[in-house]
Amino acid sequence: MTVKWIGKRMMLGVLVLFIVSFLSFFIMHASPGSSATAYYGGNAQTLTAAEKERISKAFALDRPLPVQYGAWLKQAVQGNLGMSAGVGRPVASILGERLPNTLLLFGVSMFFIIIGSIWLGMTAGMRPGSLLDRGLSAFSIASSSIPAFWLGILFIYLFAVTLGVLPSSGTGSLGGDGGFVDKMKHLIMPASVVVLTHVGLYARFLQESVKAELGSYYVMAARANGVMEREIRRGVLRNAFIPYLNYLGVTIPSFFGGSVIVESLFAWSGLGQLLVRSVMVKDYPLLMGGIMLTGLIVVISLFVIDVLMYMLDPKLRKGELGG
Amino acid sequence: MKSRKRLIFWCSLLGLILAMTIFSDLLATQPVNEMDLDSVYSPPGEGHLLGTDHLGRDVFSRLVQGGKVTLAVAGLSVALSFVIGVIYGGISGYAGGWTDSVMMRILEALISIPSLIFVLAFQAVMQGGMWGMTFIIGVTGWFTTARIIRSEFIRLKDAEYVKMAKMFGTPVWSILTGHLLRNSLPPLLVVTIFNLAGAVFIEVSLSFLGIGIPPSIPSWGNMLYNAQNDLLIGAWWIGVFPGLLIFLTILSINFIGEALKKSGRGRFHA
Repeated sequence: MTVKWIGKRMMLGVLVLFIVSFLSFFIMHASPGSSATAYYGGNAQTLTAAEKERISKAFALDRPLPVQYGAWLKQAVQGNLGMSAGVGRPVASILGERLPNTLLLFGVSMFFIIIGSIWLGMTAGMRPGSLLDRGLSAFSIASSSIPAFWLGILFIYLFAVTLGVLPSSGTGSLGGDGGFVDKMKHLIMPASVVVLTHVGLYARFLQESVKAELGSYYVMAARANGVMEREIRRGVLRNAFIPYLNYLGVTIPSFFGGSVIVESLFAWSGLGQLLVRSVMVKDYPLLMGGIMLTGLIVVISLFVIDVLMYMLDPKLRKGELGG
Repeated sequence: MKSRKRLIFWCSLLGLILAMTIFSDLLATQPVNEMDLDSVYSPPGEGHLLGTDHLGRDVFSRLVQGGKVTLAVAGLSVALSFVIGVIYGGISGYAGGWTDSVMMRILEALISIPSLIFVLAFQAVMQGGMWGMTFIIGVTGWFTTARIIRSEFIRLKDAEYVKMAKMFGTPVWSILTGHLLRNSLPPLLVVTIFNLAGAVFIEVSLSFLGIGIPPSIPSWGNMLYNAQNDLLIGAWWIGVFPGLLIFLTILSINFIGEALKKSGRGRFHA
C-alpha cells in the first residue's frame, strides 16, 4: 500500500515536470529568431563549424519543433541543459552555483514561517475572543496585501539607508571574506520580508482549524471527562495540523513565485534573480533550465509534504481518501 | 450588521481609488511625461502635491494615470481568465469520466507550478505592452476558477431541477448557462475577486522587476522600479505613494472578498 502510494505521488511529480517543460519549451520556441544562436552561447563567433554542427545535432536545431523538444528532453534528462547565451557557460553549472543561495533563503524563511505561524495560530486559536484572536485575521489580510517588494524597499530605506545597520543588497560584501556572518547579515532583510508577508496567512489558517477543532464533540467530551488542558492542546494541534500541512502544500508554488521577486530586489544571487535576468536578455537555454530547476524544487517540496501528511493522517494511510 | 458596515467601507475605498484613476485626466495637474529638469527630486509640497521624480515629473499626476494602466490590465486579464476558467472547468465538470480525469490531472500539474514561471516564459518571447501583459496574466490566472466551476458543475448537474430540465428537452446550451453557470456564480464571484487582487500583484511585481509594462507608460509597478534608486538618495516620496496605493487597492479587494466569502455567498466546494 505504502509503496504503491509513494510511487503514485512520484509519478504525479514527474508528470508535473513534464508538463512544465513541454509548455515552457513551446512558449519560448514559438518566437521568431534563431534558437540555434541561443544555444551556441556568447561564443557564437569563436565556435568552429564542426562544433556548431555538434551542438545543432545534439539539440536537433535544424529539425521541427517537436523533434527539438524530444532532443532537449533527452539531453536534459542526462543533465545537459545547453549553453547559456548570455554567459557562455553550461547552464547546469550556472544553476548549480545559484541553487545553494535559493535553498538557503527558502529554507530559512520557511523555517521561521512554520515556527511563527504554529505559535501564533495555536495561541490565537486556543483563546477565542482574545485580542490576538481578533487581531490575527486583520493582520493576516493586511500583511498578505503588502507587495513583498514594496515592504523590501521600505526596509532598505529604513535599515540600510537611514540607520545603516544592514547591507542593502547582495549575498556578501564586496571585498568581504564571504564568511558565514557576512552572509547571514545579508540574509536578514530578504528573509524577514518573505516571513512577514507570509506568516499571517498560515497562522490564520491554523487558527481557524484550531477553532473548528475546539468546537467539536471530542474536545467537549474530553473536557467533560477532566482531561488535562495540555493533553487537549496536543490533540487539537495534531488534528488541526493536517489541513495546515495541506495548505502549506497548496501555497508553496505561489510562495516560490514570491521569492523570485524578493531575490531580485535584494540582488540575492539565487535562482529567482537569475530567471528575471535571463528573461531580460532572452537567454532561453538558461531560462529553460532555471524554470525546470524551480519546478523540481516545488515538486520535491510537495512530495515531502505529501509524505508527511501520509504519516500523520490515518485516514490517508488506510486509503479511505483514495490517496 | 457590523460586517456589512465594514464591507461598505472597503467597497467605497476601492470605489474612490477607481474613481481617481478613471478621472485621472481631470485630476492630473501635469502631463505624465512632462519633465522639469529644474525641479528634480523636489519633495511633496507646493507646486507638486506629492513631489517630483528624478526627471522632475509630477508624482501625483503619474500616480493617478499609472493607476489607470495597472487597474485596466488587472481587470481585463481577470475577465480573460474568467472566460478560460469557465470553459475549461465547465467542460471538465459537465463531461465527466475520462475527459474529466485527464483535464484534472493537467490542471493539477498546472496548479503546482508557480504561475510566475509561466509569466516569465511568456514575457521572454513577447514584447509585452499593455495588451501583452493582459494576455499573459489572463492565460496564467484561470486555474482556480476552473477548479471551482468544475466542482460546482459536478455538484449541480445531478440536481433535481437540472434532471427535470433535461427531461423537458431543454437544449444543452441553456442548461449550461441558465442552470449550471447561473447557480455557480456566487462562489465564482469570490474567486474572481481574489483573482483581481492577484492580477494587480503580478502586474506591479513584473513592472517593478523591469520586465512588465514598458517604462514609457506609467504604471504603479513602473513607478516603483525607478523608485529603488531614488530611495538610496533619500527621495522616499517617489516609492512610498505608489506602494501605498497598491497596498490599499489589494487590501480593499481582499477584504471585500473575505466579507463575501463569510457571508455565505461563496461556498467553496473545491
